[in-house]
Amino acid sequence: VMSSYWPFGLTGCLSVGQPLPETVALVEDIVVEYITDLVHKAENVASKRGKLLTEDFLYLIRKDMRKLHRSTELLSMNEELKQARKAFDVNEETLVVTNE
Amino acid sequence: PMEVDLDKLPSGTSDPDKLAKMNALLSQFTEDQMNRYESFRRSGFQKSNMKKLLASITGSQKISMPTTIVVSGIAKMFVGEVIETARIVMSERKDSGPIRPCHIREAYRRLKLEGKIPKRSVPRLFR
Repeated sequence: VMSSYWPFGLTGCLSVGQPLPETVALVEDIVVEYITDLVHKAENVASKRGKLLTEDFLYLIRKDMRKLHRSTELLSMNEELKQARKAFDVNEETLVVTNE
Repeated sequence: PMEVDLDKLPSGTSDPDKLAKMNALLSQFTEDQMNRYESFRRSGFQKSNMKKLLASITGSQKISMPTTIVVSGIAKMFVGEVIETARIVMSERKDSGPIRPCHIREAYRRLKLEGKIPKRSVPRLFR
């Protein structure tokens, strides 16, 4: 998982030059464990109702304002993109019809 | 119209039609939308890798995109917290150079005390 992360600038965070491989490996272990435990907790929350939902994760971080705010921001951007794509497709169809 | 860095745009597809569509759509974006979109794209872990990880943890193939996005965002911020705390540890110890595992371990211990790390419901067998 971490090797896909380096292009996003974590290298700059860890050190000025190349990060130590042992540090990278440790951070990766910690993050994977974090995600695993987070998912298990979310599954516990969801089990009372049924299927695992995005809301279950939002519930878990409800007291962490920064994470909660960022999550809702990302979700709304994703939704905006979805709607924009849909509207775009509809417009394109209209174009085809009027050009015939 | 904003200068758009095309390297940052592709939504994980090499399909030329989809890419062209995406570029056309993005050219309609306002500057504010574009900033938010770039921030969204830079939001951290690659979605395909995160999806695979989540699927393996839950044992289910059906991981929704919103869930993938939220967990990626949360995990990225968590990494930031670990590194920030590690840097604080380093400055307290007056250490320089790259961050070392001992700094990360101390950072992890402090975050645990702050309650920022989910507790395992199944206790570890070996400590």
